[in-house]
Amino acid sequence: MNLKSKINNKPWPYWVGGIILAILNIILLFTTGSAWRISTSFLYAGVGILHKLGINVEDWYYFNVYNNGLDSGQTYFNNNIMLISVAIIIGALISVLFFSEFKFKNIKNKKQLFFGLAGGILMGYGTRLSFGCNIGAYFSAIPSFSLHGWVFGAFMFVGAWIGSKILFKYIL
Amino acid sequence: MSSNKIEELKKRRQKEIKPKKSQLPYFFFVGFISFIIAYYFLNTNIRYSIIWTIGIMIGITMQRSRFCFAASFRDPIMVGTTSLFRAVIIGLIISTIGFSIFQYIQIGNIANYSLADVPGQIHPVGFHTILGAILFGIGMVIAGGCASGTLIRIGEGYAMQVVVLIGFIIGTVLSSNHFEFWDKLFISSSKTIYIPKHIGFFPALVIQLTALSTLYLLANWYDKQNNIMADL
Repeated sequence: MNLKSKINNKPWPYWVGGIILAILNIILLFTTGSAWRISTSFLYAGVGILHKLGINVEDWYYFNVYNNGLDSGQTYFNNNIMLISVAIIIGALISVLFFSEFKFKNIKNKKQLFFGLAGGILMGYGTRLSFGCNIGAYFSAIPSFSLHGWVFGAFMFVGAWIGSKILFKYIL
Repeated sequence: MSSNKIEELKKRRQKEIKPKKSQLPYFFFVGFISFIIAYYFLNTNIRYSIIWTIGIMIGITMQRSRFCFAASFRDPIMVGTTSLFRAVIIGLIISTIGFSIFQYIQIGNIANYSLADVPGQIHPVGFHTILGAILFGIGMVIAGGCASGTLIRIGEGYAMQVVVLIGFIIGTVLSSNHFEFWDKLFISSSKTIYIPKHIGFFPALVIQLTALSTLYLLANWYDKQNNIMADL
């Protein structure tokens, strides 16, 4: 327990998080040659399951343009992006367990379930159009000097504004 | 409510909180397994070992600092606070410097580099980016978290975010299935714009750092104007 009292139980300030995430992203780029991405791992999880069910996803148009296919030797479940997403979940788990804060929290009601699922579908659909989520098409894209990162950031604000209106009207 | 009653409620609440079981044994167990995985990759695939370790550190950082990219966009609109947004901007400033060094090492001495050789996230920009960003923005606010936040909350034990993840997977698979339609409509006619290719490497760096710093100052000003928490 001494270990615990030595390390402050309070959350870190946001700016500390921002700095560390930036440094980790830079290390990732320097060591692996590619920046941090997340949403493609969710795509791989989905098409990986379809692939297991016998659907020929490799034939899909998407996987044959814009280098969207997998690197050689990698599979839908065994690749860089999937690995980092799993590691992030484990990292969060380690962090809450250290402070004995892990707690299974159930879904509150049907409304929450509906908006969670709908929100997820909207986000997921958007990511293929914009070549990434707010990590791959924003947090890693702006530092890459690609204009799409700036455009994505600006219009994500528009989306967030519309989403807030919906939130005020139906959820809160 | 009388202050006595409040005190009583506080005491009762504290009693409820106190008998919290230590989860340190589980911490050591999960930590040990993660270490074994990192060690195993070290001998088989060093790249995986690095990715795994960085992923764990990203998870810990985001969990500890309550970092949420969705909230960084939502909070300025809903409550007028920009502290999280400014933290993202600080992150963008630092990674801009780091990324530019790496890109310069890779392509700085090549006169006519192709965009495929530039490391980082460089993709076509056009109406599809706008549409995707708006859909994503709406989705992350009503779902209460974006891709990274969803991963963190799953690790914290939220069942809700598993639903968001399932939705995300459904959406992204559908979208990749419809990709030919969107590609022919917008993407194939859009350009990939790598800013340094058009204005030069150092001007791009200076302009970007200036733009991000300006955004930081604007956000700081906006916070002072609109923060509804500040007066409380």
